[in-house]
Amino acid sequence: MSHGGTSGWQTPIGAMLWEIWGRRKVNFAFHTIALMVSLFCVRWIQHGTNQVVERVLVMVMLSCFLGAYFDLLTCFGYIEADARKIQLGYPARLLLKPVSTLRLVLVPMLVGGAIVATVLLIWNQYILQPLAHTSALNPYWLGAIVVSFFWWMQALAWSLPLMPGRSLIMLIVALIHLGVGILPLLPNSLSGWQWLILVVLLVSAVLTAWTGLGLMRQGKWDGPSRLNLFWNRWPSFHTTGMRGKFGSAFAGQFWLEWRRQGLILPGITSGIMFVILPLIFLVNQQSGVPAQGADFVKILLILTLLVPLVISSMMGATIARFDQLQASNALPVYIGARPITNGGLVIAKLAMALASSALTWLTVLVVAAFWLVVLQRHWLISLIPDVSPFHVVTTAIGCVPILLLLILYTWKNLVAGIGAGLTGRRWVVGIFTGWKAASAIALVGLFTAAKFNSDFQAALLHWLPELFFVALVAKVAVAFAIFSRGLRQNVITSGCVGWIACGWLAAGFFVTGYAGLVCRAMRHSDLWLPITLGGFLILPLPDLAIAPLALTWNRHR
Amino acid sequence: MQLRISIQDGTPIYQQIVEQVKYLVAAGRLKLGDDIPPIRVLAEQLRINPNTVARAYLELEREGIFTMRQGFGTKLAQVKVLLTRREKLRLLAEPADRLLTHAHHLDVSLDEVIALLRERDAAMQPKSSQ
Amino acid sequence: MKSTLIKFPSPSSAEAIIAVSGLSRQFGTKKALNEVSIFVPRGSVLGFVGENGAGKTTLIKHLLGSLKAMTGSVRVFGLDPVLDPVGVLSRVGYLSERRDLPGWMRVGEFIRYTQAFYPGWDERYASQLLDQFQLDPVQKIKTLSQGQQAKTGLLAALAYRPELLILDEPSSGLDPVVRRDILEAIIRTVADEGRTVLFSSHLLDEVERVADHVVMLHQGRVVLNGRTEEVRAGHISALLAFAQPPGASPVLLGAHAVTGFGSEWRVLFGGSRTDLVTAAALIGARVVEERTPTLDEILVARAGGKGS
Repeated sequence: MSHGGTSGWQTPIGAMLWEIWGRRKVNFAFHTIALMVSLFCVRWIQHGTNQVVERVLVMVMLSCFLGAYFDLLTCFGYIEADARKIQLGYPARLLLKPVSTLRLVLVPMLVGGAIVATVLLIWNQYILQPLAHTSALNPYWLGAIVVSFFWWMQALAWSLPLMPGRSLIMLIVALIHLGVGILPLLPNSLSGWQWLILVVLLVSAVLTAWTGLGLMRQGKWDGPSRLNLFWNRWPSFHTTGMRGKFGSAFAGQFWLEWRRQGLILPGITSGIMFVILPLIFLVNQQSGVPAQGADFVKILLILTLLVPLVISSMMGATIARFDQLQASNALPVYIGARPITNGGLVIAKLAMALASSALTWLTVLVVAAFWLVVLQRHWLISLIPDVSPFHVVTTAIGCVPILLLLILYTWKNLVAGIGAGLTGRRWVVGIFTGWKAASAIALVGLFTAAKFNSDFQAALLHWLPELFFVALVAKVAVAFAIFSRGLRQNVITSGCVGWIACGWLAAGFFVTGYAGLVCRAMRHSDLWLPITLGGFLILPLPDLAIAPLALTWNRHR
Repeated sequence: MQLRISIQDGTPIYQQIVEQVKYLVAAGRLKLGDDIPPIRVLAEQLRINPNTVARAYLELEREGIFTMRQGFGTKLAQVKVLLTRREKLRLLAEPADRLLTHAHHLDVSLDEVIALLRERDAAMQPKSSQ
Repeated sequence: MKSTLIKFPSPSSAEAIIAVSGLSRQFGTKKALNEVSIFVPRGSVLGFVGENGAGKTTLIKHLLGSLKAMTGSVRVFGLDPVLDPVGVLSRVGYLSERRDLPGWMRVGEFIRYTQAFYPGWDERYASQLLDQFQLDPVQKIKTLSQGQQAKTGLLAALAYRPELLILDEPSSGLDPVVRRDILEAIIRTVADEGRTVLFSSHLLDEVERVADHVVMLHQGRVVLNGRTEEVRAGHISALLAFAQPPGASPVLLGAHAVTGFGSEWRVLFGGSRTDLVTAAALIGARVVEERTPTLDEILVARAGGKGS
């Protein structure tokens, strides 16, 4: 502790703040740029432009906001991996400093909370409000909820090291905040209490963090707790740690990928489904819209389908990771030193992604059925004839190919960016994400232009099959070139190439066949060709071809 | 067979083994027909490279102290012969060389060294072994 | 600076398991390896020594294909580890310096996972090692102590009886009991016919005990390269007495380190005894005491000194 004479940075608080600044200068710069870009977009829109440009700019701003804001949250979270990479929590080196626990807790919380809230208000005032033209949600309420969520995440991350199921607790707390956050929207008696609930949440967050950090400082969490020991030993009753061995290298690698990432997508999806479905029913009940309506069923269906698709597209980068807690993106030694080709590693990941997608959709079905039964809405099934022109059983059977298509599409979302991630270089991933965002925005722009400009729409539809065909030919040619290079460089065996190519063809033909059936039934045979070509086009081939080469660049630096 | 290897010593490890075995034989602690541990076992025991032990055993066989024979995959060696007087004197040549080098460096004459030897021998008398 | 005492078989020797030739590697401006050439014959134990940052880990990474050879060539079993990783890695057992084990796996799971890749896995040997190392298969790797992690990594590297065992600082950070276990496991590997071991270590008494050949790296260059006892025999640690105390540190041709003051100076000399006496006489000193230096002293002298 210093008294006067020296600059303000020399106090413990100053040191902690300076450290945050020092480590995250790039993030702050990035955030400022995002803010500037969004401000520019708002001004542009306010000057008055046509619908297309406006849609595009809105997309740009939304992506800027979401990206920059979540980045900010992680910035000020004050969470680090410990020296032995066992857990993420409070930076352990600060616990030995001569600073009181309360100060250690309050500085990151208050500073972080203040900055997070202020930035949100800035965004809201200058960018979100002028856009939305509404004030459905009091910005101060939103800010307070975000701060409370932020504090709770910090408190949990700091005070529960080594505890199994910590992520589950965090998810539950996040959901609680979501529930409390939409309280003002619901016209019921609870809404009067919302601010009191919020204050309780805030105070309890600080108290939890203080107690937890204090206990950690006293060494309570130094070794595994009894719960932790029990949890770690739990599988021992059905496995002594050495079960039957794997049949092949592929089986072993698949097991590793599955254990690391297989349950992420199904887990998040089912978690959200458990919350969203009853919420929909609740809102529906509150708002008085007749639940019998076909519209309601459609909304339900769309939302149910959307959740896994959206999450899987957000998860694009994670599939390329091998080990989450590792600092760098390099291939971990315990994988890189194994006698397996890069092609084999990629195939294991692809297989895992497929299994994960399949499981995700299965859980969606199960959870939806569960809620339908619990909330006694199985009469919804009787609504099906209103929606589809076929008999119930035929619809059910006809939905199986749709399910397969959904699984395929989810899988495509997961693996589309695998090549970029496998290079192990952050800047490649950055470029790829930027490219993906730019092409998504361009697609939206195209779509909007087609929607509002009928000439453009007609021209587009006329030339669509030709465009698709050219794109498809280019895609196959590029994939062929990449595969042959990979074979020459001995990164991928011809067996792997066979699997990928045949898989692509099989999936493509499946889409073709099913589209043909549907088009014939719906009597829109002219759509069949574009749909077929589009199907082949969407399914990833060059992305997968380049993945082993990308991994080579990572594995042999 | 208890051997001690010293890294600090200037002599190569295999030579230390050879000398110590010869010493044990001279002192009677290894008798004719005794079994010698296989190369692998001795290497693990001393925590040194088995090739070094193999080299020492080879040297000892060359000098006629060991006889190696194949038995069930491991080589058993048996001490074949006791050292003659001349071989014992040859063993003492090394320490003698070292003593003389030291003396030369310290500028001590040969007569003084001999006198010292007699003095040390007298001091050791009650504890001397044959 | 040329390397001395090259006694390895020539590059054309058919039995060279590892053949590194003219390897150089630069990271930014720092030259990690500078024209390194090493040939390791089958069945030998090679000890890599050198100060931190001398390039040992970099060289080992080249052998495994983790790093591509920018200049020069690397051949293991006659294959290029970058072009044919499966061919090389299926016969190599590796333990890295930081162990690099997946913390989330249990010991048993890690063993099972590793087993999937090697058809030659010896299950009985693996469970024998498991007992001997006293590892609990149900324990998660991230909760293991450093010594237990090293033992786990070593088990996974030994169990399929690889032709080539590469260990990067196997004993670093470990207590003497664990070090003993590891050394015994290495020796048992060597005792099996035809298996080669390459290990880098700071513990030079281990290197002297176990290694046939020693390669010393200093600032990316090979400074010493030869059989262990020949390396030692090629150096002398001597005490020089001067008739007239030299003003400053005396310069002796062929000496790697000179310390002391006044009229008595200790030198570490590379060469034979006669060379030493001649060189000493040239600067007006005589040799008062001499002995064979330990590998430790040779390493410190050659790493710290200006060298020849």
